[in-house]
Amino acid sequence: MAEKIFSRVSEKDITRAIVAEFSRQFSEYVESDVIVVGGGPSGLMAGRELASTGLKVLIVERNNYLGGGFWIGGYLMNKVTVREPAQQVLAELQIPYKKYMEGLYVADGPHACSKLIAAACDAGVTIANMTVFEDLVLREGNKVSGAVVNWTPVGALPREITCVDPVALESKLVIDSTGHDARVVTALEARGLIKTAGFGAMWVEQSEDLLVEHTGEVHPGLIVTGMAVSTTFGLPRMGPTFGAMLLSGKKGAEIALAKLKQWQ
Amino acid sequence: MSHPFLAIPAFLYIYQGTDADRVMTDEIARYLRSLVHAAVAVRPDIVHYALSSCSDGERERIVSETALSLARLRVRDPAKRNLSIDPLKPEIDYERGNLLKAGGRTCGIIYEGFELQRLYGNFIVPRERNLDHLHLIITNQLFATWDSSNHRYHARVSIYGLPALISTTGLVEAPARPGEFYVRKHLGADLHELREQFRASCMDYQDPRMAGVLKGYAAQALFHYLVGYPFCEDCNCRLFNAHRQSELLQAQSLSPYEFCPRHQAVLERLREYQVLREQVVPGPSGQQSLPCSGGLSAEEHIR
Repeated sequence: MAEKIFSRVSEKDITRAIVAEFSRQFSEYVESDVIVVGGGPSGLMAGRELASTGLKVLIVERNNYLGGGFWIGGYLMNKVTVREPAQQVLAELQIPYKKYMEGLYVADGPHACSKLIAAACDAGVTIANMTVFEDLVLREGNKVSGAVVNWTPVGALPREITCVDPVALESKLVIDSTGHDARVVTALEARGLIKTAGFGAMWVEQSEDLLVEHTGEVHPGLIVTGMAVSTTFGLPRMGPTFGAMLLSGKKGAEIALAKLKQWQ
Repeated sequence: MSHPFLAIPAFLYIYQGTDADRVMTDEIARYLRSLVHAAVAVRPDIVHYALSSCSDGERERIVSETALSLARLRVRDPAKRNLSIDPLKPEIDYERGNLLKAGGRTCGIIYEGFELQRLYGNFIVPRERNLDHLHLIITNQLFATWDSSNHRYHARVSIYGLPALISTTGLVEAPARPGEFYVRKHLGADLHELREQFRASCMDYQDPRMAGVLKGYAAQALFHYLVGYPFCEDCNCRLFNAHRQSELLQAQSLSPYEFCPRHQAVLERLREYQVLREQVVPGPSGQQSLPCSGGLSAEEHIR
């Protein structure tokens, strides 16, 4: 008989550990300072910046994995690029990168993405993955005050055989980092509380600058970052480069911090 | 002493959009001085120039109002003329940040051209809001005007009037590039490489030909004052209204002459008149009291 490497733990102990810890954490984060919807590069960056100041931050991610498109640079090739000055963020996150040409830097996608996820977790961000945003929690004056969420697989079930109600999470601020879908902004628009620009007459060469510059609070309690900014303001798509995602996340966090300070 | 011109500006003000434009604007100032005997001055960006004489409270109010106006002037859909959309806060914040930025603005938005002209016109003090003063704004903002014949906006290089607007971004983006450029762009060619390949036949950002080309557009702004019409049909004349990059470069950079004989004659007539006038009232400011002949159309003046 082989020597035991691992301690003796029964199946029920493992199950209890999962349920207890998840339940404790979920219960704690039913109320948080900031809910970031979307765990792509801008959401992770925003979450990391906010959590590093001691705020209670929950990232809601509909997929099992975090990082969005940051794993892959384009055409399934796993090298990610950033334009100057976003390489400073790579350096800050201790992501190895090299200068490809003047103003353009390249990093290994898996390395960069896992470092960013780790940086967010290390800063104290809590992650609710496989959790999909369904709707907003609105308070007086239609201020955004939380998110209504559900398990992602629920959406895949036929409506005829199931009806799984979602649950609501409260927060002082919500950040929409859901990429091109801009799901939170869209939910607000569906209620007639915001009117987005739709397609804009702007041009691609300027898209990264514009995206960072337009990152901000679009409605009381709702900040938009990353490609959701592009959808909200009708900015053009950009190529497979990620500098604007990182800087937009940082800027979104700065704006959130300023808002929270203002409300204190 | 009457003259055959609609107006001869005695003072020309060139507003530079960004700090980087300083060398270009100085060159344009020298060029305009060579065309017309007038006092030519280079000023900073028109909003900054106007704000420099305001109190702190007034400055704050003007910046807020202007940011809101600019956000409203965005062309959001080239196929729709709708300026009644309430802008979102980050759009206003973006404009506000741009207005306060020292040394130049970020570009990337297309604005409704005539409304932009009207907005900037409000920054001109009343004593300079007449035909003795030509205000020429060089900006990196891109603007477009609505064409009711095909119901869509078209990007423009310039809009003439009070003030005259010339867009350095418009020089690159507005006149059409060769068809091959768009086909290859559509097929996914790298935009930077593509622009490099078409460098000889198209204007680009930070193009060394920019100052030379801008001179022609400044001349158009001047002719708009002098004869009421800024353009010429001669494709080799600086006043040619280019719709394609090739036409623009032909008129402004490759042409065997600067002005067509007809417009050259207008300038010579202007110089003769100004020399004569100088003998009566020395200095460019003496022109302020010059009467206009009136009655003739712009076309009649230059024929």
